[in-house]
Parts: sequence; structure tokens; C-alpha cells
Amino acid sequence: MSDNNLNEAQKRVGVYVCHCGGNISDVVDIKKIVDEISKYHSVVVARDYVFMCSSNGQSLIEDDIKNMGINRIVVAACMPSLHELTFRNAIQRAGLNPYLYEHINIREQVSWVHKDNPQGATSKAILLIKAGVEKVLMQDPLNAIRVNAEHRVLIIGGGISGMRAAVSSADNGIEVVIVEKEKKLGGKLNRDGYVYPSDEKAVDIVNKFSKKILSNPLIKVYTESEIINIGGYVGNFDIKIKKTDGDIDNIKAGSIIVATGFDHYMPYDGEYGYKKSDYVLRLKEFIELLSKSDGLEFVFKGKKINSIGFIHCVGSRQNEGIDAPQADGKVNEYCSRVCCTSGIYTMNKLKEKFPDVNVYDVYADIRTYGMESESLYEIASKHDVIFFRRPLDERPQITFEGDKIKITTTDILSFNERLEMEVDMLVLLTGMKPSEIDDISGYLKLSKSTNRFLQEVHPKLRPVEMNINGVFAAGTSLSPMDITESLQSAQTAAMKSAILLSNPDIPLDPFVAVVDEERCTGCGRCVEECLYSGAVTITEKTIDGNIKKVAYVNPAMCKGCGACVAVCSERAIDLNGSRLSQFEAMIDAIVKE
Amino acid sequence: MTKKVNPKLLKEIKKYGAFDISACFNCGNCSAVCPLSKEELSFPRVMIRHAQIGDKQSILSSLEPWMCYYCGECSSTCPRDASPGEFMMSLRRYLISEYDITGISKIFYRFPYIQNIFVIFIFAIALITFLKFNGDFGSLAAKIELVFPFYITLYIISYLFIMYKKTILDRLKKFVVSLNPSNIKNMIVHGFTQKNFIACSEKDYVRWFSHLLVMSGYILTLIISNLHILEPLKKQYLLFTPLSVLIYYSSLSLIAGGSVMIFRRLFKKGQSSKFSHSTDWLFVIMLFLIGLSLFLTYTSNIVFGADSNLLEIIYKINIAIEISWILIVVPFTKWIHMFFRPFAIYLNGLKKENSQVIVEEI
Ligand SMILES: Cc1cc2nc3c(=O)[nH]c(=O)nc-3n(C[C@H](O)[C@H](O)[C@H](O)COP(=O)(O)OP(=O)(O)OC[C@H]3O[C@@H](n4cnc5c(N)ncnc54)[C@H](O)[C@@H]3O)c2cc1C
Ligand code: SF4
Ligand code: SF4
Ligand code: SF4
Ligand code: SF4
Repeated sequence: MSDNNLNEAQKRVGVYVCHCGGNISDVVDIKKIVDEISKYHSVVVARDYVFMCSSNGQSLIEDDIKNMGINRIVVAACMPSLHELTFRNAIQRAGLNPYLYEHINIREQVSWVHKDNPQGATSKAILLIKAGVEKVLMQDPLNAIRVNAEHRVLIIGGGISGMRAAVSSADNGIEVVIVEKEKKLGGKLNRDGYVYPSDEKAVDIVNKFSKKILSNPLIKVYTESEIINIGGYVGNFDIKIKKTDGDIDNIKAGSIIVATGFDHYMPYDGEYGYKKSDYVLRLKEFIELLSKSDGLEFVFKGKKINSIGFIHCVGSRQNEGIDAPQADGKVNEYCSRVCCTSGIYTMNKLKEKFPDVNVYDVYADIRTYGMESESLYEIASKHDVIFFRRPLDERPQITFEGDKIKITTTDILSFNERLEMEVDMLVLLTGMKPSEIDDISGYLKLSKSTNRFLQEVHPKLRPVEMNINGVFAAGTSLSPMDITESLQSAQTAAMKSAILLSNPDIPLDPFVAVVDEERCTGCGRCVEECLYSGAVTITEKTIDGNIKKVAYVNPAMCKGCGACVAVCSERAIDLNGSRLSQFEAMIDAIVKE
Repeated sequence: MTKKVNPKLLKEIKKYGAFDISACFNCGNCSAVCPLSKEELSFPRVMIRHAQIGDKQSILSSLEPWMCYYCGECSSTCPRDASPGEFMMSLRRYLISEYDITGISKIFYRFPYIQNIFVIFIFAIALITFLKFNGDFGSLAAKIELVFPFYITLYIISYLFIMYKKTILDRLKKFVVSLNPSNIKNMIVHGFTQKNFIACSEKDYVRWFSHLLVMSGYILTLIISNLHILEPLKKQYLLFTPLSVLIYYSSLSLIAGGSVMIFRRLFKKGQSSKFSHSTDWLFVIMLFLIGLSLFLTYTSNIVFGADSNLLEIIYKINIAIEISWILIVVPFTKWIHMFFRPFAIYLNGLKKENSQVIVEEI
């Protein structure tokens, strides 16, 4: 494309202003914007439309490119993370370089925040669009960066999520390496007892997947192994695996799926009486105990169990100032999502085996979400499980009297009366906490949420993608999920990784740093400033016969953050798509008014 | 004060009917739709909760069960199909057995077939004895009917006294009465018109009408037998007199109302007829039979004359049915509720007047 060589007069800008239903047009005077912008220099056409992202809206742009020779596009609409790609694709379809395009946000940055001042909002929108026109006029056509990709995926963690991701990846013809630190695959499902909603043995699910994995030549499994380093970048990760025997394997992978799961919450000594008595158990322990108990009576350690209390939200949904903080000084504010359903499912199992045992359930909210789980709750009621609802900011008290455990709670259902019940056994519905993966998240620089689980890029739009290109997460490493949800998320991660690896080379956004080798003095300040090790390095290069030290940017590793640009005294390093000169032109356009 | 949870109570109450009530998850929809539930007397959810946690004290001292007329709107609304209306009914049965010092109610409600056997047994014994009796049956019948009002009054007084004790005396720890005229008027109005019933079953006119028929027929029949108004073997009656209108009305309304009720129970029309405790069956069948035998007694007196043999046999059957009805049925089926309801309203007024004291007690 010879676009680089166009002179000013040949650059023809089209501006497209979106109403976003009424999200924008209810506040901003769209007609005024269009009138004023169409008079601005270099703007050949300015249009507005009710939904620019709709196919009709997109064809407005495509038609203008084809029929009017428009070769620079500005869209003023919602935030770019929603539809930048939509418009870029439209432009590409019309035969223009997709990067000759600027997206101006007049919804989040204008109409939504200036509802009380429509006139000011309209002026602000006009200014921002003019700045966008200036920027796009100085934009050069760019091409996506392409890197070669290893046709192999590394899966860290061999729980049900890791196993599912492995099988799906192999089904797509991709080589898989699973690294699991324990002896066996299966994670938390390597236990006795049954699971909802399918009502099958947990280990049966594990065995189904194990069989598929062990018989698949595309999948290599490392058990009792540890990852001791990860380097490289999307398409070319270098991984060091320390095996049981101490040997180290080096492997390469094009993408990584983190499926390191969760850890069972462990109450501190004395939390709801835990460890003070053998008869205070965690849910996980009780499930295993129940599956081993048979006969006419429920007997545990020589005592006949006539009544059992269940306490919800142990280690989950904690409140600061009420619950003791975790190791990092914070409380677990999140809901573990599975303990209500799993706990109630287990009560039903208990009642089916030992119908005469009285069951008391102290909860804050019942979260047996989903159709089938709601019926588990109803069945539990019909089994005469008695439910007690505590206030959110109170905790049931546990005391021991002889061989009885006494639960005292305020009960909202009983008009906030204080109630007490004596039980022979107490089960704590302990939930999940994030597994300890500081090493892995350190190698890969993964972000974590305030709850310490891994943080996806966007919970709805990009639910399994990590902040690092080529790295995905699956299952409970992301947040508490049940098996069904873990499997869904693992499958999504496997598909995302397969799409990434489906081409021999991976296209990446071209918005990375570029070095002007003539200006660069090789001082290395940019290297010091850069957060992504290896993205910019100092190399020696022969320029005009002289060997010179210059900065070199690895486009696959550069995130385009611009930290280097800010520190370079020579103006030798700049960002594609956001050049300093472009920003200067934008600021000029704004201050000119 | 901390209350101790007792899972046995609900199991106990379930023996009186409420088979589905475990399913209740305390959403409160039932109380929201109940046309008779009020802020200060809220039910059925509150009652269900007392039962679930085993708060026997609160159940025994509550008047709410008597405010419910079983229109069944709560049951049609309950998202868990827990049949709260039937629970309220069962609670009344439970309370009656708790108020009954003889303990007979407890046996009859929990083992209804025993009551059925007794009814048939007493009827059979009475009939055989009467048929063998060759003396002046008219005078014998007069003596038998003289006993009825004593028996019934005694039973009702003992019931109401225990009710007073559990709801007022045990809570206030002192003997109080209310002579407040509006309180007494309230009790009388409710007692005679059962006016809340109409509020309750607004939409079910068939039920309301059959209920009204049977109720008036029932009370009149009780009066006729208890006051020994009818003497068919001694007097010759005429086709149309004020007395004959009274007899026709009470017997025919029992026959008609009883038939409608049997039909509704058979085909399960309406919420209140969905569940049939076997004491309910007994009750409606008895109503029908009493109406029929009363009608036949009176008409055969007119047709065959006071000294006819056939009349004597029919009259003996009539008295035998009356005996088993009064002895075994009246104090132990749900129509005794008629007496509890107005009294509960009176006690509620009394409670309100003394609410100061109750608050202090707590
Ligand atoms: C008490 C309880 C009861 C439950 N009951 C049910 C139920 O009945 N039904 C249901 O659907 N769900 C249930 N769940 C949820 C279910 O257990 C999870 O959804 C499921 O186990 C998640 O699988 P996962 O693979 O994501 O995680 P995990 O099972 O935790 O697997 C993670 C794997 O990664 C490995 N790993 C971790 N770190 C590393 C590392 N650095 N290197 C190598 N390997 C590593 C671990 O060893 C483990 O094998 C229950 C959860 C709890 C807490
Ligand atoms: S699932 Fe239920 S028990 Fe578990 S944390 Fe959430 S609300 Fe509490
Ligand atoms: S790009 Fe700038 S900061 Fe980096 S080495 Fe060259 S001159 Fe120094
Ligand atoms: S509507 Fe049903 S579930 Fe809800 S409180 Fe009433 S009886 Fe219970
Ligand atoms: S049956 Fe009718 S009166 Fe009785 S509780 Fe239900 S809605 Fe109220």
C-alpha cells in the first residue's frame, strides 16, 4: 500500500458518530457535532447513525470507503474495548488498512459522565473528535506482527479442569503436556463419595478422563513434577520441568493453560470448634466419612450420632472485623458457590442412609443455584432438615457440653429469636481458597483479583484469557466453580488456545515500540524502565559499516505500554499507533479552540 | 432468652394431618395472601415456624389457628406445595387434643379408624337395645335426650377452660376477664355469623352456601335434640306448622349440604376438600344420615300416624344415630371449632387488653 506517501490533500477522512440507542444522543447534540465536524479540515464526510456497530452502521463505513475514496476513519461511539475490532474488521473488508482508524469514546467519557451538562458534553465530544481526526491523519498503515508458534500446549494442573482441557486440545490435534504436582491426576475429585448434579462417584469421573488421557499419544503427562521456570512469549514459551527423579526436562509450548485449581479451606484451631473435638468435621471429611458409613445406625468413633449440625460459609463470605483474617491479612469475601449445594446434597445422602438422624442447617443465604440444585434444597426440607437463617453479621456460637456440641444462633426465620440445638456432630461447610501458585504467576506475571484467584481479562467478554498473550486459565484457578462450570471453562480455554495455535504463525497487534536506530545511543534506559523482561534489549548492529549499540524491541514480548518512550531523552523510541507526534497534534487541536 | 430446638413437635403435629408441611421454606407467601391473617395475629407462616423449631409453648398459647377458616388460598399459593391450610387444620386438631383432658380426642384424631369403629359400635348397641325394648320408647327417648345438653356443655366448658389456661393463665400467671362490651359483642357476632368465613371464602360460593346450609341445619338439629323438641311417638304432627318448617329446614339442609360436601370430597373440589382426614369423612356422612333420619321420622309421623310400628322403628334408628353422633362425633370433629372460634376472638381481645402485662413478663 502506498498510503505512506499520500500528501495531506489526498487524505480523506470519514467521521461516524453513533447515537448508541439514546445512550449518547440523549445527552449530546449529535446534529451539532456532525455539522461542525463536516466543516473541519480534511473531513470529507461526517455521518451519524443510531447503532453504528449494527451491520447497517458498518456498511455505511464500508460503502464510503468504496464509493467516496475515504481512506482515514474516525468512529465516535462507546469504549474501544467493545467495538474497536468490529470497525477494524469492517474497514479491512472494504479493502483499507485496518489501522488507519481512530476510535473516540463519547459514551463513557462524555454522555455518561456529563449528563448534567449537555452543552459542555457536546463541545467536549467535538474537541475529542477533532483530536481524533488529527491523530488519524498522521497514522501510518500498520501490519499485524506475526510470530511462529509451537503447536503444543502446556497445561499446569491435572485436576478435572486440566484433564478436560487436555482432552479437548488433543481432539483439536494439538500436542499436550500436563504437569501435575501430585501422584495422580484428578485433583480434588480423588476422593470417596458422590458428586452433584450427576450423582456419580467422584473418582468415576476422574477415571473416565484418565483413560482418555493415558491412551492418547498426543498427551504427555508429568506427575509428581514441578515447573521451575517459564520464559519466552506467546507461541514460544520455554518451560523447565523438574521431575520426580530430580531430572529436568525442557519443553517448548505455543500456549499455556493454568488449571491449578483451589485448596480446601482449613479452619484455624478452634474456629467453630474445629480440632477441639473429633466430632467437628469439614464438609470434605464428612462426605468421605459418610460414604464409608453403613448399617442401621450412624456410629463414629464409638459414639452413636443422632443429630448433626451443618454450618454454612465457613471460610467464605467473611466480614472484616468479625472473622479472623487470612495469612495475607485479608478476609475471604467471596462465596465459594459449591458448598451450599454440595452440603445440602450430602444432607440428603445422609438422610437416605440414616433417616432418623436429626439435621440442623444454619445458613446465611441458601445458594443452591440452578434448576436441579434448587430441587436438592426442596428435597432436604422434605427430609425434615431444619433450616435456620442467621443474620449476615452474626456467627453461630459453638460450645461443648459433655459429649454434646451446642450451637447457638439468632434465627431470622424465627423472628430473630435466639435458638440453641444440641448435636452429636458438627459439619463445617468449608469452601475454597486460591491454591498457592505464586511461583507460576510470578514466572508468567499473571494478575490476580482482590480475592487472590487468577484474574481474567474480562469476566464476560474474555473469561478465560489472562493478561499475558497466549496464557489462559481454566476451572477453579479463576474462581470457585463446580465441576460442570469447571469443565465448561476448561473447554473454553482449550478452544481459545486451539484458535491461537491454529495458524503456523500468530498475528499480534502492531502497537509496539519501534526504535529509530539512527537516533538511539544505546544508553539502555529503556531497558531499565521496561516491565517485561526481554521486550527491549541492547544489541550490537552494523550501521553504515560501524558497529553500534542500539535498543532492540522484540515485538512478540512488547506490551506497548510506552514506559520506554517516556524515559528516552533522544526521542529514539516510539510506539506504533500512538506516536509522540500524534499526541502533539491532538493536543494542538484541543488547545487551539 | 434462648429457646431449645425440638424436632419432635413437628413429627407429632404431622400425625394430625399436615403431611406436606416439612417442605415449607418459610417464604411467607401464605401469610401474605391469607385474607384473615393480620399484623398482630399473623399466620400461617408464624405457626409453621413455631412447629418446625418445636416451640410447643408458643403453639399451645396461640389463638391464630382459630382465626383460620381454611379457605385454602395459602395452599394454592405455596411455592413448595406445603399445604399450609391443611397444616392450620391439623394444628386445630392437635390443639383440641391438647385441650381435651380425657385424652379421647388424641386417640380419635391419630387413629381415626378407632373413632369409626366406636361410632358404628355405639350405634349398633343402641339400636339393638332399642329394638328389644318393649316399653314406652317415647319416654325413654326423652330421658336420653335430656342427657345430651349436660354432656355437651361439660365437654365444651372443659375444652374452653383448658384453652383459657394455656393461652391466658399460663402466660399472665393471673386470672383475668374482660367485661368490655365491644369484646363481648365481637364474640357473639362472630359466633353467630362466623362472619370471617365469608371473608375467607368469597370466591367459593358453593362452599360458602353449603357451609351455611349445613351450619344452620346442624345448630338447629342440635337444639331440636338437646331440648327434646320432637316427640313423634306422643304427638301427631301436621304437614305445615311452624315446627314442621323448622324440621324440614334443618333436615333438608343437612341432606343437601351433606351431599354437596360428600361430592366435593369425592372429587376433591377446592383446596379445603383436597385432604380428607377420615374424621372429616365421618363428619359429612353423619350429617347426611342425621338429616335423613330426622326427615323420615317426621314425615312418617304425618303419613303413618304417631302409633305406627314403622315410625317407631325409624325413630329408634334416629335416636341411635343421635346417640353415637352426640357422644362420639360432636366433641371430636371439626365442628366443635364453632365454639372455639368466638371464644378465641374473645380471648384475643382479652390478650390485647392485657398486652402490657405480657410485654413485661417477657
Ligand atoms: C467440599 C467440596 C465439595 C464439592 N462437591 C462438589 C460436587 O458434589 N459437585 C460438583 O460439581 N462440584 C463439587 N465441588 C467442586 C469441585 O471439587 C471443583 O469444581 C473441581 O474439583 C475443580 O477442579 P479443578 O481442576 O479446577 O481444580 P482441582 O481439583 O483443585 O485441581 C487442580 C490440580 O492442579 C494441581 N496443581 C496445583 N498447583 C500446581 C502446580 N503449581 N503445579 C502442578 N500442579 C498443580 C493440583 O495438585 C490439582 O491436582 C466441591 C468442592 C468442595 C470444596
Ligand atoms: S455456597 Fe453457600 S455455604 Fe458456600 S460460601 Fe456461598 S453461601 Fe456460603
Ligand atoms: S531507545 Fe532511547 S532509551 Fe533506549 S537505548 Fe536507545 S536511546 Fe536509550
Ligand atoms: S407459602 Fe408455603 S413455603 Fe412459603 S411459608 Fe407458607 S407454607 Fe411455607
Ligand atoms: S386456609 Fe385461608 S384462612 Fe387459613 S391460613 Fe390459609 S389463607 Fe388463611
